[in-house]
Amino acid sequence: MYQYDAIDKEMLADRVAEFREQCERRLSGDLTEDQFKRLRLMNGLYLQLHAYMLRVAIPYGALSSAQLRKLAFIARTYDKGYGHFTTRTNLQLHWIKLKDAPDILEHLAEVGMHAIQTSGNDIRNITADPHAGATADEVDDPRIWVEAIRQWSTFHPEFSFLPRKFKIAVTASPADRAATKVYDIGLRLHRNDAGELGFEVLVGGGLGRTPYLGPVIRGHLPVRHLLSYLQAILRVYNRHGRRDNIWKARIKVLVASLGAEGFGREVEAEWESADNAQVDLPDLELARIRAAFTPRNFATLPATSAAFEAAKADPAFARFARHNVKPHKIPGYAIVDISLKKPGETPGDCSAEQMELLANLGERYSQDEIRVHYEQDLILPHVMLDDVPAVWKALGAEGLDTANRGLITDIIACPGLDYCALANARAIPIAQAIAKRFEDPALAERVGELGIKISGCINACGHHHIGAIGILGVDKKGEEFYQLTLGGSAEAEASLGQVLGPAVPANRVADAVDSMVEVYLRERQEGERFLDTYRRTGLAPFKEAVYAVAH
Amino acid sequence: MKALTGNLLDDGEAVFLGHDGQWAARFADAELFDDEAAALAAEARAKTQITVVVDPYLIDVIPSEHGYAPLSYRERVRALGPTNKPEHGKKTEGGEAIDALLHAHGAARSKGRVELIRRK
Repeated sequence: MYQYDAIDKEMLADRVAEFREQCERRLSGDLTEDQFKRLRLMNGLYLQLHAYMLRVAIPYGALSSAQLRKLAFIARTYDKGYGHFTTRTNLQLHWIKLKDAPDILEHLAEVGMHAIQTSGNDIRNITADPHAGATADEVDDPRIWVEAIRQWSTFHPEFSFLPRKFKIAVTASPADRAATKVYDIGLRLHRNDAGELGFEVLVGGGLGRTPYLGPVIRGHLPVRHLLSYLQAILRVYNRHGRRDNIWKARIKVLVASLGAEGFGREVEAEWESADNAQVDLPDLELARIRAAFTPRNFATLPATSAAFEAAKADPAFARFARHNVKPHKIPGYAIVDISLKKPGETPGDCSAEQMELLANLGERYSQDEIRVHYEQDLILPHVMLDDVPAVWKALGAEGLDTANRGLITDIIACPGLDYCALANARAIPIAQAIAKRFEDPALAERVGELGIKISGCINACGHHHIGAIGILGVDKKGEEFYQLTLGGSAEAEASLGQVLGPAVPANRVADAVDSMVEVYLRERQEGERFLDTYRRTGLAPFKEAVYAVAH
Repeated sequence: MKALTGNLLDDGEAVFLGHDGQWAARFADAELFDDEAAALAAEARAKTQITVVVDPYLIDVIPSEHGYAPLSYRERVRALGPTNKPEHGKKTEGGEAIDALLHAHGAARSKGRVELIRRK
């Protein structure tokens, strides 16, 4: 993993000291809330329903054991003993006191972490394929490029006050595990016919009030021009973005209004007119960053493990192996998914004890690394197959052995009205009700792959637009209602969900999901997932079933 | 009927202006205003307490089975704590005042809060 150097550390120390002084000035009344709010938001500190919330950035979702242990310490010392992993691979702490915030940032800085640019109209934490560096299907390690963008964009003065927030995701695999089509900029590393490494550049994707899949504005950008091309995109956005209307200020609206070709022409013109050599990453610097991601010393092992296969005699382990263990690029290793979706629990929540266990397991079994998946789950990316049974057993001690990755109970839910000041309705209790309905592992397995994603408001932090079943909480005549969408996906063949019909009340959502699953089980053909069946049959049979029950 | 609410500056806790003019953690201790002018005057005074409370605003209050409760579901969540964690928030103290909030109906969002969100 990338380690902060002396410059990084000094920069962070300065920032913590600056924020400490700003907090003191706010507490003493030297700063008003209006003056202070922007400053605290630039440090990831929000004021929500019950307390302050600190959003900690986890670049490309990668954590060392020391970092995760520090997050556990902070959760236990300054919060109520848990944190919430988000769909942006950040960690949110929901019970923070303003007076503690500078101390927390100081603790984070000790392990090379911060909360800078986790709010505000700037370039936010950048995400990547959570299997980066471990999957065989990538053409390069996307973390290298994300780290380069992170360093370039942190405190970038020209892009500190964009028309609106700005999110970038990078993948290097044809299987899109980073949802690049629904980002302001999605970057897809690939090789062209000549074998040269480059980025397919997508701009103007996004969810929220007006969802769009990002169109491609450049099919192949040579990797050496990454930063200058990003600069050109951001300059066009800075120049033409709708600062006059917050609902039209995201780049997706600009791209939609100019058209992908028109926007692309603006970017190319800007790019060709700039002194790009001043911006693009020097080879030496790229090599320095790349060195931080050099593969560790993997052992030479047979591709299969007798211990792993023998452990499958236990049906519970066999189920875990089917759903939570993924192929690794190195023979004899595996990527182990850790579900934070035990039925009945809050999706994405992780206790301090669970964090410490995962830190220990990461240190002992996964080359000191833990990853955060945007689907609000965690990953041990480099586990020897021989060790998977021991890891599984250890996970069980803290309730982390739920074998449901990708299944109907692996539900994304934003914090919703239980915590968030912007929400219209609760998301977590809806997720809990659905998960309890399908908690029988055999039932969940029979249903198979089915992504349910729930947002408590139109801002779509719960990614409902890209759920095979999407659920959006709305305020309908003063009551919590939920609009259902079907057919969303963030895969390579991405699609936005279509509205099923009128919103249903909270106590009917689990029934509605049940009805749709019944339709799927009745209609599915050999090998079809829920999404495939929906794409073949369309909305009609699902609509008929839901509204026969709900009304 | 109205009550005045906000979040404490130093720890962000949801609080309600009490009968004694102090900020109270429990909704049961909130002063309830019949008179709109008095409520607006209290809100204006609260906005000057910049080292104590953040973004004070008025909320609608309705009779419940065991007393009074905020009309809006959002405000009841603020007064009770998150519904996904029985062990967190003010609901843990129990009693009649908490029951009044738990059994209240009417989930309209309070106007004050809507205006605050719009401003943000």
